[in-house]
Amino acid sequence: MVELRDVHYRAGAAHIVRGVSLAFRARKFNVILGPNGAGKSTLLKLATGLLEASEGAVIYDDEPVKAIGVGPLARRRAVLSQHVELAFPLPVEDVVMMGRYPHFARVPSQHDRDIIAQALEVVEMTAFRVRSYSTLSGGEQQKVQLARVLAQIWMDDQQTGEKYLFLDEPTSNLDIYYELHLLEAARALLARGCTVIAILHDINQALRYGDAFFVLEKGRLAQETDDESAISAELLERVFRVRARRATDARSGETFWRFDPG
Amino acid sequence: MPERRGYGRIYLLLTVLLAASVLASAALGAFRFTPAEMFRYLLQAIGISEPAATDALARNVFLHLRLPRVIVAGLTGAVLGVSGTLMQGVFRNPIVEPGLAGTSAGAAFGAALVFVLGERTTLAFTQPLGTLAVPLFAFIGSFLATMLVYRASASFGKVNVFTLLLAGIAVNAVCTAGTGFLSYIARDPQARNITFWNLGTFTTANWRGTIVIAVVFAISFAALSRHGKSLNALMLGEDEAASLGIDPSALILRLIIINTAMVAVDTAMVGVIAFIGLVVPHILRMLWSSDYTFLIPASALAGAFLMEVIDVIARFVISPAELPIGIITAVIGAPVFLWILLRQQRAGSVVVDG
Repeated sequence: MVELRDVHYRAGAAHIVRGVSLAFRARKFNVILGPNGAGKSTLLKLATGLLEASEGAVIYDDEPVKAIGVGPLARRRAVLSQHVELAFPLPVEDVVMMGRYPHFARVPSQHDRDIIAQALEVVEMTAFRVRSYSTLSGGEQQKVQLARVLAQIWMDDQQTGEKYLFLDEPTSNLDIYYELHLLEAARALLARGCTVIAILHDINQALRYGDAFFVLEKGRLAQETDDESAISAELLERVFRVRARRATDARSGETFWRFDPG
Repeated sequence: MPERRGYGRIYLLLTVLLAASVLASAALGAFRFTPAEMFRYLLQAIGISEPAATDALARNVFLHLRLPRVIVAGLTGAVLGVSGTLMQGVFRNPIVEPGLAGTSAGAAFGAALVFVLGERTTLAFTQPLGTLAVPLFAFIGSFLATMLVYRASASFGKVNVFTLLLAGIAVNAVCTAGTGFLSYIARDPQARNITFWNLGTFTTANWRGTIVIAVVFAISFAALSRHGKSLNALMLGEDEAASLGIDPSALILRLIIINTAMVAVDTAMVGVIAFIGLVVPHILRMLWSSDYTFLIPASALAGAFLMEVIDVIARFVISPAELPIGIITAVIGAPVFLWILLRQQRAGSVVVDG
């Protein structure tokens, strides 16, 4: 389980994260919601150990993240961000192999190669194995990056222990086809025992795919709930500065949100 | 996945090319040596066979002029090739090389300081301390210049190519002006030496310098063997590299120090040779792969090979005189540089995300 205990983060005069305490749900799809500038990305960086908290502690399975070395940490959690461009051409399989870097010293083992093949299989990019990464479309590139982070925290690894996948607005450059594909792939990881922690900006997708919701407002946790119906129009209207209305899909009976300028 | 794609065969090919070029470079020039002669002199040098009195002149030319020159040329090519690879990795851009980022010019300025001003102090080149002072000052100048260019062009994990080029121009201008000033106030034989040395030359190669360059290169190269993977990961960007368990700022600092040490010690001896660091990794990327675990060893081999070839050309173009090495590398390298820059611009990726 990943926990934040009264975490603060200051950058110069700016107080970006102001005392957040929370526990992400193990083996669930955790979603962080909030408007631009609420401190979502900073919070995620603190949780991944890429940033060090000014105050408070980030705990991985009862161990402070500071006490875990960068190498061991890289075998327990992986981070997928928005869009990764490469300055140089590399074949897809080399990019995915980078996910195995924390696991071998110089030369990848057969086990590492098998994982690469399976990760590419999961994202349906096996046919692109030897294609140059830079020639792929944005959606295909993001699938390759997903395969890379999957390979990094691959479940059938000899390594035991909980695995965490962090997603920092992973779908913001994707069309709806790739967006759904990526969210489905992330959800499928839960069955294999992985915990997913994602920042998503599309509130409807977030509520549809998430199990637990953490709403950030100005560096503080405005709401934490496992029940999507507990998220009220008032909260969304205040936090996102819009007008919000819950509607029901006539055919499926599912609810969704409609937003108008506030 | 090194073995499967057969980097081994490429290394073998490059090694064969390098061996052939070393042999040619050792044999050709104002004095020509047959393989049999070279073999005989080598045996005589290590005391296996008796030196024959009739060989004395040719043997001395071979052992004390030609051989160190061939080795220094090869080492210089290897240093500059690897340096280009490293710097392109650190700056995440294919146009960077020691000549562009101030590394060479900074080293030249540092070394020239000792050459000219050291004469009035205990640092004089002829003094024991001076031998150490030249590479040391070259390293300091080189490190400061490189760090300045890096700091100016990189912010928030991204490298801006325009700032990089401008900072490179500015730092190079200051260092070149400094070296120019020193050669102006120097007395004549020294001044001419600096001018010639500023264009790159292997004529001054001697055994002592050769050993220093070889040792520094060997240590640097050994220290690099772990970093191929890290440089690959850095291609993804600093945050991504960090989440793969690499500390990007520590990595970059370590690579700049290793790179500067190699280039500074070499530059102190042979002067400024531009564009090798640009051309070598570029050819390797085009022909084979951008994987740094491959590029680091391959650019050492290919750089050494290319430099031997260029050194042979330098001996013949205006024979019996010799052309400075830097002139040839500029003629070959500048068009390649422009070509890469134009291609990058067309691809719309002159500003590269880190």
